Amino acid sequence: MGECPDARLMAGGTDLLVRLRHAGADTKPPLILLSKIPELADIIMANGDLCIGSGASFSAIMAHTLVQDHAPMLAKAVGTIGGPAIRNMGTLGGNIITASPAGDSLSPLYVADAQVVLVSPGGTRKIKISEFINGPGKSDIRKDEILTQIRIPLDDGFQSHCFEKVGLRRSLAIAVASFCGRLRFDEDGTVAEARFAWGSVAPTVARSINAENALTGNRLDTKSIKKSVAEATASLSPINDIRASAHYRRTVAGALLKRFLENPQREKKHV
Amino acid sequence: MNKDTHSHTRLEIGKSHPRGDAADKAAGREKYAADHYPENVLWAGAVRAGIAHGRLLAVDVSQAIALPGVITILTAKDVKGSNRQGIIHKDMPVLVDDRILYCGDPVALVVAETKDILSRAIALVRFSTETLPAVFDPESAMAENAPLLHEAMPGNFLMQAEIRKGDAESEFSACDAVVEDEFSTPVQAHGFLETENGVAWQELDGKIVMIVSTQAPFRDRLEIGHAVGLPFGNIRMISPALGGGFGGKDGATVQCLLALAALHTEGRPVKMQWEREENMLAGYKRHACRMRYKLGAKKDGTLHAIHCNLVYDTGAYAHLGGEVMELGMEHAAGPYRVPHTLIEGKCVFTNNPVGGAMRAFGVCQATFAFESMMDMLADRLGMDRLAIRQKNALVEGDENCAGVRMITSTGIAGCLDILGDHPLWRSANNWKQECPPGRKRGIGLASVFNAAGYGGKVRDSAIAKVELSLDGRIIVHSAVTDMGQGNSCAFSQIAGHMLGQSPEFIELRQPDTATAYPSGSSSAGRTTYTFGNALIKACEDMKARLINRAGLLLFIDNDRDLALEPGKVTHGPSKRDVSFTQLASFMPHEDRVCISQFVAPVCEDIPDTAKGFFIAFPHIIFAYGAHLARIELDTATGVITVCDYLAATDGGGIINPSMFDQQIQGGVAQGLGYAMMEDFQIREGKPLTKDFTGYLIPGSLDLPDTISIPFLGHESTGPFGLKGVGEVAMNGPLPAVANAVHDACGVRIFHGPITAEKVLAAMNL
Repeated sequence: MGECPDARLMAGGTDLLVRLRHAGADTKPPLILLSKIPELADIIMANGDLCIGSGASFSAIMAHTLVQDHAPMLAKAVGTIGGPAIRNMGTLGGNIITASPAGDSLSPLYVADAQVVLVSPGGTRKIKISEFINGPGKSDIRKDEILTQIRIPLDDGFQSHCFEKVGLRRSLAIAVASFCGRLRFDEDGTVAEARFAWGSVAPTVARSINAENALTGNRLDTKSIKKSVAEATASLSPINDIRASAHYRRTVAGALLKRFLENPQREKKHV
Repeated sequence: MNKDTHSHTRLEIGKSHPRGDAADKAAGREKYAADHYPENVLWAGAVRAGIAHGRLLAVDVSQAIALPGVITILTAKDVKGSNRQGIIHKDMPVLVDDRILYCGDPVALVVAETKDILSRAIALVRFSTETLPAVFDPESAMAENAPLLHEAMPGNFLMQAEIRKGDAESEFSACDAVVEDEFSTPVQAHGFLETENGVAWQELDGKIVMIVSTQAPFRDRLEIGHAVGLPFGNIRMISPALGGGFGGKDGATVQCLLALAALHTEGRPVKMQWEREENMLAGYKRHACRMRYKLGAKKDGTLHAIHCNLVYDTGAYAHLGGEVMELGMEHAAGPYRVPHTLIEGKCVFTNNPVGGAMRAFGVCQATFAFESMMDMLADRLGMDRLAIRQKNALVEGDENCAGVRMITSTGIAGCLDILGDHPLWRSANNWKQECPPGRKRGIGLASVFNAAGYGGKVRDSAIAKVELSLDGRIIVHSAVTDMGQGNSCAFSQIAGHMLGQSPEFIELRQPDTATAYPSGSSSAGRTTYTFGNALIKACEDMKARLINRAGLLLFIDNDRDLALEPGKVTHGPSKRDVSFTQLASFMPHEDRVCISQFVAPVCEDIPDTAKGFFIAFPHIIFAYGAHLARIELDTATGVITVCDYLAATDGGGIINPSMFDQQIQGGVAQGLGYAMMEDFQIREGKPLTKDFTGYLIPGSLDLPDTISIPFLGHESTGPFGLKGVGEVAMNGPLPAVANAVHDACGVRIFHGPITAEKVLAAMNL
């Protein structure tokens, strides 16, 4: 990278190559292929974190037992990305760097408070995903850095999990709205902690602290659910585009939360 | 199937033989036009206008031509012919010479050594324009003082026409129930995998040879010749198998540009292949349509009067817009008896991308409106939705809504009966009751029909050529393109059946105007019907010849005991035979070729119901179908799942049952795309859905397993009783899904496609 400052890093290429297709022949940058570094595709447990290499493909992530055991919503979410061919090529690191608000892998990472690991000649730094991505297509990566790993803290106190995506078709579709949620209940059935994140309804994947707080300390009942959904829909800032209106995106975002809260399918321990 | 058993199987009509092209296509061996990269090939590409309406003032190619590797840059002044292409109306410039009428209009043609240089040169061509006020919807195009797109077309009407039978206006007062509403349908893209492309070169004798992905190789010669100034005898078209067509390759796409390029490259071959984005912008599309309907019936459900008004947006040029509208009008009251009809149509120019032919053209728009109206009427009368359709279904001897007497096979009632007896219909109520929480279930029906053939005044003809090759095989020279629908496989099966042959003794050649004989296009549900009829006659001649020549060699004085078997003619009693190779070496070349023609029947008794029609009216042969969709609706998101789909189809006799089912299933799949997601969006003449990221077509997970059941009819004029079924199934899904949504949640969607967003919004009203 030092020798070739114009070069672009390419992981799976499923976004980058499409974008470069229309670049003039003179303006196409050299590509450095991260897929040639096998270590970047590792999926391991380390220091109590589930560590997913930035080069791990969506297919590999979906199929990995560590992910299925410890981050089942991430496994589910990446399974909704594109179709099999795209999932074989596309990577978690690529999805993060692309930083689309519709990146389907992102909301589970937000809900899990995942961290990204960035390596440069100057050293290594770790940063929370929600602080790393700061706008559509924008992240805090520096010119000399490579995103090497995503660390997902294991937190098995949450009994309920959900990921749901609404697109205009069932495969190869960009989300109109997606939702990831998790709930931790106290023994008396009140909500101890709630975490919600939505895709495609704001410039980045969005959490709604107000919607989460509306439930904390309360039981899930008509009143608390209504409050939480109202807080959520008020906090989101979707746009109109060819796929859907802002109004529909907001409605669906609220509906997905409501559906989760009305039937949270509590599990003793998530599997 | 085991190859050995396969090779000894004689081809027979009515059997599901594997498609003759299946193995090659599955293995990637089939060579499409896009697979041709001749040595020394150059690349051609169009510079497109990018503005919806304007005047082209000047083109400056100086920067582009200076780019190393650019061979030539052509503009309108280089076009020696009329510089106008079009199937019927020649109104579309090969290269703009004055007016730009839509964003995709080509202003210059660049030829370069490589694809990379081509795209750079295209970006360097400069041109200046004067922008003119544009119109983007038919209502504003029809308004007084609207800018006029074509001088010879006042009011921006490509065509205005009317079908009038009985006295609809006054007979509504005699109806017990009248329903009235307005509908619209979106622009649909064909979405074929192989985009418009071809390669062309000029031979030493000056003739142009082209290998093009086209549905109409013979007619292309006329269009190209007229536009670029070549005698059509100097144009040879070769049309390999198509990677999809659906109507979008009926009429010149790359042809005239390629021919023009080939005239300027001193014999070097030139290739042009549109990118997907170019296909979206400059490829033809299904017409958007706005429909106003009023339908009245007697208390017992007998249809009595209909008045409807259809407005089609044909975009910047005519293409087949008038014919599209006419066909929609001819089908505007469904496959039913309606004594009093007033059907008005307008086909209007706008500065939008060009509307053209697409599977079930004109008809699938009107079917949405009409079949929605049938459910609305049934509800008003408190009638069963199937019963009202059965009650009014056309039977032989009836007059259809255009006043044409049905004298050919008319199987809509039979299709509705199949549907009514099917478990998917009979168990409908139970199935609805088993609906999971948070969902709603509904069942929708649609009766459909679709005319076959070109219609009145257009000669609908095909010429089949069958040849015994020197190596002892039967060559069928197809003259109508196979765009994937399987007609060429049907031709092999017909020839094999007629001549007692197994697949290895039949060779199918795709169309080549140098060796096949002039025939119509692959379109209009007429491909297998018309060519198949010609082929039967050619095979009969061939059979008689082979038997006679074998009799000569065997000293047999009559035909009685001579029979055709794979690769030979046998004489049973004497256990002797003559192989095809022996026969071929015995027969001079012209003796080994049989040619026969067929012209499709036309209406002999044309009613005087239609005014303003130019050609293509009326039709006399129709395929019919009864469709049923079972859907489940997510009440939180509006998302629709089509759980089951049934299509009962009257396509007359069947040559190959599995290919028949594939045509129906493919039509339903494309129809469900049209029903639920396909929506080519345009703003100010520019596509918003520029590629397959924005323009969505259904994937396998969006589609149910479609059950196809044939109504076993027989069309006496068809080859082995067949009628074409390529189009009819396309018509059902949009109204069937609309009716199912209404059945599920009481909400009616009047404007296609039926998206989750529209359903949810209507439910929350």
